[in-house]
Amino acid sequence: MTPSPGDRVRVERAGVTDEGVLMPSSDEEHLVLKLEGGYNVGVDRADAAVEVLEGGARDVGEDADEEGDASVVAFDDDLPTVALISTGGTIASTVDYRTGAVTARFDAEDVLRAVPDLAGRANYRGRVVANILSENMDPETWTDLAEAVREEIEAGADGVVVMHGTDTMQYSASALSFMLDTPVPVVFTGSQRSADRPSSDNVMNAVCAVEAATSDCTEVLVCMHGTPSDDHCALHRGTRVRKNHTSRRDAFETVGAEPLGRVDYDPHEDRVDVSFRERKAYARRGDTDLAVASDLAEDVELVKFTPGMDPAALDYLNGKSGVVIEGTGLGHVHTDLIPRFEALVDDGTTVVMTSQCLEGRVCDRVYDTGRDLLDAGVVEAGDTLPGTAKVKLMWALANVADSAEAMGCDLAGELTEESKPWV
Amino acid sequence: MTDRSFDPEELGLVAGLEIHQQLDTATKLFCDSPTTLHDPEESQRTITRYLHPTKSELGEIDEAALEESQVDRTFEYLAYDTTCLVEEDDEPPHELDGEALEVAMQIADLLDMHVVDQAHVMRKIVIDGSNTSGFQRSTLLAQEGEIETEDGPVGIEDLMLEEESAKRVEETDEGVRYSLDRLGIPLVEIGTKPDISTPAQAREAAQRIGMLLRSTGTVKRGLGTIRQDVNVSIAEGARVEIKGVQALDQIAEIVETEVRRQKELVDIAAELDERGAAAGDPVDVTDAFADTDSGVIAGALNSGGVVHAVRLAGFDGLVGTEIAPDRRLGTELSDHAKRHGAGGIFHTDELPAYGVTDAEVDALREAVDAGEDDAVALVADDPETAELAIEAAAERAETAIDGVPEETRGANDDGTTRYMRPLPGAARLYPETDVPPVEPDPSEVETPELLTEKVDRYQAEYGLGAGLAEQVAYGRRMPLFESVVADGVDPTFAATTLESTLTELRRHDVPVGELTDDHLRDVLGLVEDGDLAKEGVGDVLTVLAEDPGLSAPEAVEEAGLSGVNEDEVREAVAEVVERNAEQVDAEGMGAFSGLMGEAMGALRGKADGEVVSDVLREEIQKRA
Repeated sequence: MTPSPGDRVRVERAGVTDEGVLMPSSDEEHLVLKLEGGYNVGVDRADAAVEVLEGGARDVGEDADEEGDASVVAFDDDLPTVALISTGGTIASTVDYRTGAVTARFDAEDVLRAVPDLAGRANYRGRVVANILSENMDPETWTDLAEAVREEIEAGADGVVVMHGTDTMQYSASALSFMLDTPVPVVFTGSQRSADRPSSDNVMNAVCAVEAATSDCTEVLVCMHGTPSDDHCALHRGTRVRKNHTSRRDAFETVGAEPLGRVDYDPHEDRVDVSFRERKAYARRGDTDLAVASDLAEDVELVKFTPGMDPAALDYLNGKSGVVIEGTGLGHVHTDLIPRFEALVDDGTTVVMTSQCLEGRVCDRVYDTGRDLLDAGVVEAGDTLPGTAKVKLMWALANVADSAEAMGCDLAGELTEESKPWV
Repeated sequence: MTDRSFDPEELGLVAGLEIHQQLDTATKLFCDSPTTLHDPEESQRTITRYLHPTKSELGEIDEAALEESQVDRTFEYLAYDTTCLVEEDDEPPHELDGEALEVAMQIADLLDMHVVDQAHVMRKIVIDGSNTSGFQRSTLLAQEGEIETEDGPVGIEDLMLEEESAKRVEETDEGVRYSLDRLGIPLVEIGTKPDISTPAQAREAAQRIGMLLRSTGTVKRGLGTIRQDVNVSIAEGARVEIKGVQALDQIAEIVETEVRRQKELVDIAAELDERGAAAGDPVDVTDAFADTDSGVIAGALNSGGVVHAVRLAGFDGLVGTEIAPDRRLGTELSDHAKRHGAGGIFHTDELPAYGVTDAEVDALREAVDAGEDDAVALVADDPETAELAIEAAAERAETAIDGVPEETRGANDDGTTRYMRPLPGAARLYPETDVPPVEPDPSEVETPELLTEKVDRYQAEYGLGAGLAEQVAYGRRMPLFESVVADGVDPTFAATTLESTLTELRRHDVPVGELTDDHLRDVLGLVEDGDLAKEGVGDVLTVLAEDPGLSAPEAVEEAGLSGVNEDEVREAVAEVVERNAEQVDAEGMGAFSGLMGEAMGALRGKADGEVVSDVLREEIQKRA
């Protein structure tokens, strides 16, 4: 009988005999055995004599994690209701044996089970909008997400928490910022260190996000670690936030300003305090009625100009509705490329300039190159972040009459009128 | 011990060892940070974290990890200028260090083990905070080996290559402070089979494995760099893992004491069974101590605490039974209560005492409905702690009726042990998906010469005395010795310098710990090149030890020993001979020994004795 994963087997090779449960292997050449003590070991398949001791002794692979008590959470009238919307990602993920990688496989109910610390803070409504890695996020899903948030708010949610992979969280947060007029907080959170490690940041991030979702600030926010310590989460405006580190817990930063607020965390005191910076303006409960405009023009591209760029790289922009340029410095590209952008504008494409400096605003009136770009019909996006500008242009092209004009105005906190990075 | 007999063999002792040895590699196991240690005061940043238990890939939670997580603690980590994000758990681990893998395979070779075809890095859940990730990365690298002892062979079960934990600096009000310098240093864990049947054999096996480890020349030396865990059970007892045995000399005593403890617990269990013993449900007995004079209890009550007690039916007299030197069954109950934050327990076998009166004991017994055959245990603390602690103590009492519980215990300095946590199970291990499996190739590994073989070779080949040869071979400067001898330094001189000279300097309070291998190598080199007299080595090393920033030539100058070349020696010697011309003329070579002392004195140790002697001989001959 051919041994298969989950069987208890005895494997003999070169005088060493091992007994254990056969695990799925990531390559063809090795049998992987989980020994009695818990260690996994790989044995050359070709040289091994395998004897099946017990077929199907353990449940391994796809369904292994589906067990566990279904948590029945009692409804408490004194607590606010928070909708937990899952899109996949590391806050609720587990090990995939076949690839050896970490994949998302939990729904929002599982998040509750995975993060028991959420209990007692709110009544929860769980919902899965997508089960994808955040690098696979797409504009269509942003629309689904906005509609899901609408339904949850209409169903009585006092706040919404969106569990999202960190790679593209800033884009999704931007999309919802433009799509939603929300009467409740909509808080994105995730984890930088996967949930399958005891040190994961998922617990604190989720707890802080739920607390922020029950606060008075009815903005689209990103709630992630503020420092490498488990001491507080920063609350970033969805349109100003950027993942600025590949792996650190405090990878997310508000660019060009201070974060909107913070959530202090101390599990000893069972204390979680949400606070907002005094000099920041933000919408509060009662300010806004629910409205959703979730349409997007999907044919918008973000191009980064770098020295030596082949002009042919711009050819694929022909016929697009919108193009956002990530220029150098105050908003420049090589002089020779300006006619290419002029041709795009003439052809009806909205062409928008942002800066790869990230900090600061574009200003194309200072140097000749900039003035030539303005003459060519390129629109300045002020201090809007390049990624945010792309999402904004997608939204503006589908929802406002003059998208070029909209790119120069603040719609959702993405563009500041005055440069005061210390505020 | 006691007058009762606890013959280990008769009681069916089965013991195994786990030896943990730090490797002296250039970098840590999963990042490129150096493996050097720091003073906590040098730390530049601190990070605060909490840990939460996670399930294994089979969906199980480890019991030991779960118990640990119920103790809610803040972990603070001290970071240094050498610390990187991997150690802070803010970056995925790099690949398994090649040097560590090679040394581990050497060790596997010395233990006659089979290296696995494909090694899988696992995460071993440890949520006491000693790993920033909440797990220790550990890899089963080799299996099935054997070592010899006088009482027969001892099988080696497995060899793991794993990362060292962070060093515990101190307990804080809310948790523990750890230092990140030690975290991630490569560590091999060697587990023997349960083939050991006497305490002496346990010691010998540990000694043999220690010798093999040091033969690689790439293991860390000094306090805490090697640790022994001992697994002990007797026929009627249970497997108990004893952690952190610091000295080899302690192993036999620890095993003996554990044999006695298990036997006593077996006897107590039999007695309890006969009496139909049982642990009751905890009761709040605060009222019985309303006006107590007991400092401990009054202290707890005054700060809003309560007293919880449990009736231990049929336990009277047995809670106070000694099961190890100065440790009773009551101590075991107390250990469990302490795990939940209580200071300890009181029990009726030791009361009245500690300010608790006879009347209070009566009231206590009445409150829990205890008869004269029963014992009562109590905890005074804040309500939450008291509740958890008395439950833990009651559970331990319940276990005593069944016999010896399987558990992990910690070694105390006096050879006794204390309860630490449940035995960890297989559920604490799951794959480290951030590091791909490794296919080790042991064919290229060179088998190192054993220290025992080195001792023989040093005598035969270098002519060292047996004592000096052993000192060098087993000493921490053995790799340096071999390297300088290979560079041409005279073996006897190198050995004397690295052992006798350094020992002598240490006795004179010279901080020889400051001397690096490079310092010593350079100084020996200067002598070899004729730039420093052997007689000046002690002075130069003293200068270097006190000012390690100096180079060896700078230290020679600082010691005032520079600038004597052969011409100057000849000049000084000629002067001596001239001054004693009469004696030389009269005695010829007979004057040699007398003049040698004078010549050396004139050169004040700046010149090599052999050179002086050669020159003196020549000068005398000239006159002859």
